[in-house]
Amino acid sequence: MKKEKRTFGKVLIGLAIAFFYLPIVYMIIFSFNEGKSLTSFSGFSLRWYQHMLESRDMMSALYTTFSVALLATFISTVAGTIAAIGLSKSKKIVRDVMEQVNNFPIMNPDIVTAIGFMLLFITFKVERGYITMLLAHIAFCIPYVMLSVMPKVRSLDPNLADAAMDLGATPWVALTKVIVPQITPGIFSGALIAFTMSVDDFIISYFVTGGGVKNLSIMVYTMSKRVNPSINAVSTLVVLIITVALIIINVVPAILAKRPKKTEMKKSKAAVFVPVGIVAAVAVVLVAVFGRTPAGSGLPYAGQTLYIYLPGEYMGEEIIPTFEDQTGDTVIVENFDSNEQMYIKVTNGESYDIIIPSDYMIERLLQEGYLQKLDQSLLTCWDELNPVVMAQPYDPNNEYCVSYFWGTVGIVYDKTVVDEADLEEQGFGIFLNEKYKGDIYLYDSERDSFMMALKDLGYSMNTESEEELNEAYEWLVQCVTTMEPEIVTDEIIDNMAQGRKALGLCYSGDATYIMSENENMGFYMPEEGTNLWYDSMVIPKNAESIELAHEFMNYINSYDAAYDNSDWVGYTSPNVAVMEALSSEEEEGSYAGINAYLPRTDHPMDEVFVFNAETKKTLGNLWSKVKIAASNAN
Amino acid sequence: MKKFAHLAIPYIAWAAMMLIFPVLLMFLYSFTEHGNSIISFSFTLEHYIKFFSDSDFLLILWRSFGIAVKTTIICLVLGYPIAYFISRSKESIQNILVLCITVPTWINMLVRTYAWIGLLSDGGLFQQIFGFFGFDEVSLLYTEGSVLLGMVYNFLPFMILQINTSLCKMDQSLLNASADLGARPRETFLKVTLPLSLPGVINGITLVFLPAISAFFIPKLLGGGQYFLIGNLIENQFITVGEWNFGSAISMIMAVVMMVLMMAVKKVEVRNNGGKEDE
Repeated sequence: MKKEKRTFGKVLIGLAIAFFYLPIVYMIIFSFNEGKSLTSFSGFSLRWYQHMLESRDMMSALYTTFSVALLATFISTVAGTIAAIGLSKSKKIVRDVMEQVNNFPIMNPDIVTAIGFMLLFITFKVERGYITMLLAHIAFCIPYVMLSVMPKVRSLDPNLADAAMDLGATPWVALTKVIVPQITPGIFSGALIAFTMSVDDFIISYFVTGGGVKNLSIMVYTMSKRVNPSINAVSTLVVLIITVALIIINVVPAILAKRPKKTEMKKSKAAVFVPVGIVAAVAVVLVAVFGRTPAGSGLPYAGQTLYIYLPGEYMGEEIIPTFEDQTGDTVIVENFDSNEQMYIKVTNGESYDIIIPSDYMIERLLQEGYLQKLDQSLLTCWDELNPVVMAQPYDPNNEYCVSYFWGTVGIVYDKTVVDEADLEEQGFGIFLNEKYKGDIYLYDSERDSFMMALKDLGYSMNTESEEELNEAYEWLVQCVTTMEPEIVTDEIIDNMAQGRKALGLCYSGDATYIMSENENMGFYMPEEGTNLWYDSMVIPKNAESIELAHEFMNYINSYDAAYDNSDWVGYTSPNVAVMEALSSEEEEGSYAGINAYLPRTDHPMDEVFVFNAETKKTLGNLWSKVKIAASNAN
Repeated sequence: MKKFAHLAIPYIAWAAMMLIFPVLLMFLYSFTEHGNSIISFSFTLEHYIKFFSDSDFLLILWRSFGIAVKTTIICLVLGYPIAYFISRSKESIQNILVLCITVPTWINMLVRTYAWIGLLSDGGLFQQIFGFFGFDEVSLLYTEGSVLLGMVYNFLPFMILQINTSLCKMDQSLLNASADLGARPRETFLKVTLPLSLPGVINGITLVFLPAISAFFIPKLLGGGQYFLIGNLIENQFITVGEWNFGSAISMIMAVVMMVLMMAVKKVEVRNNGGKEDE
């Protein structure tokens, strides 16, 4: 019977390990994928490793991740252990209160803790960056350490330390030689958990950092356009280094000599942190080797720094390095996942030189006085730009923004499944057509979803009428309760490129990419009209490198840079010549024959989203309600 | 021993600053009218009333609670035996096993969750396996099952670690004594091992349940937008809608519910400790 039990135990542990490593193996396999997809393997390639090594951002993020994790773990383990020992001897009331306080960061949603820390640092005017990120990590790691250490401390014989001191030990000796060895397992597991928490965290890090300091999880979190597979390559590198280090540490001593049992614990502790240290060290070396050194002083902007804040994966790979080579400056890029996320950081004092928000957000920033006027004498790019992207209602004289990308919203559909007559007849109403039940994606954004509903109902997408908004709400509720849609964000790009569903609501730029990957896909803009949108570059009031910011605006809209940028991302360039070249059959443009790449500009029913604080809130709340209705329908 | 009490003082100061102050700010927000400023403080209960007067919000709180309970139970049922067998294995491989279980958590959670999306998506590995057994066209992603899977995957290591910690340094002589006194293995387990591992179990539950109830990224990625939990609502209020006041109020309500629950759990622990001392 005993043997049976043991086999059962082995099988169980084996299964558990298989379960834990399955996604890791998957990730490693996909790091060698040739394509951009995270779900469909199209061939072996090392391109993502090359991309990873060339990406200074990724290497420094790797370094930040592990150096912060290591420091935070070390400090919080020491501090947490001391505090736990102290608390266990404190008055009961103090202990109970502190235990509840420690639960705050564990139980509060990360976003609440994140905003809390952000406000704390703002209140005390601490400049946000590496140090604030480290402080925040220490703050949320200590409770995990204390939680692990506490039960061990409590189960200690209270007389042990007294006995030691009676025998002449100083309190310090009693602490380190008597108490700590007894509670080591608790300290050990506390440290492991703290390390995990630090590596996994993204929201708190995102809101407490600044100055371009970011870790890997922030990078993944803000890859808003699509997840870049080189993140798999970085993670594989981490796995490799940890594995090699663990093997060295566990195997080498065993070969060298059998150690006395006493050092077992110390050894295993080293076994944990040495590999991590090695990861950090390797990252430093990689940064040093592959990182770009600032160009020589002969260039016009040598020594200056340009901070750019834009959506993740929204810029061609070679854009920044080329710009740096030309101007001699250093560009620091920070990313955001949504306009609203950007708004929180910008309005709470983070300083950037260029931000790239969408139309309605520019309108909002402008209304609230966060933007400065452009210096027209420094801008040479106007002639290159498409007249339709200029002179928007929120900036009629082009005083505040220069276009970056633009496009529409439409329906991506599988030509082999969807009847085009249905699209022409029903427009957005096709999302209510039960023929396609269970075969549609909605986009998880209140703006685009309500646009779709309002347009189908024949209203303006900028309506303020409560009645019309309610009708649109009912429309969406009907859609989510009868059509079994999957409400996704950017997974739609990969999923539609793989042809997993028949219909999806999609930005034209993403549709361009989908269609270039899968020729069965089409893009349709309903006759009822749709949303025309413009993402543009603006300079906030607290910008520092203003001249350089203008230089960048000119550069990004110059032919070569605009071509690379649009070619890489798939979004439509405001540079007329580039747009024509990329869509031209003769010039073999990447997007020739793809209608999504050429936004419709002459349709009277198409509209630009207008910012209205109250309507925006209403939409946000109604959209939550739609999603709740969708959950209830499941 | 009382000498060591002063060791806690620096931490209390630190906690007041780093943990209490931010929560206090959120607390103030939850009683303040619209607008993200607490400088112009004007007291209101509107946000709390809004939450409690809407059955939809209560429903998703209840649903989040449900999924957190399920996650915790699955983690406990799987985690306890795993931790138990690890603690029973040879000391030399115990640490290696613990590391084996911890190392995957050092790869970023988002990256691992994206890998799960790939594994579960239409045409992915799991669907092909299911298809092999004749279950074609089962959609695995964007279901309650996929959300639970993601939660368990993410939180199970904490449960195993905590229980294992409480089991591994257990005094072997206690178990021997129990056996010597005629207890069968099952009795020894129920009367000796289990009660002694209870602090670890409670810690494990804390570390799974508390984060699971407010999780928002796993439901969002693996459940899709139609899997809307309280964590998603709060995130939505803070970022998309920009209503920090209402968001704070919801998280305050959650915090109170959790505190009450944790105190109840504590009672169980204290009673158990008391019982032990009586023996």
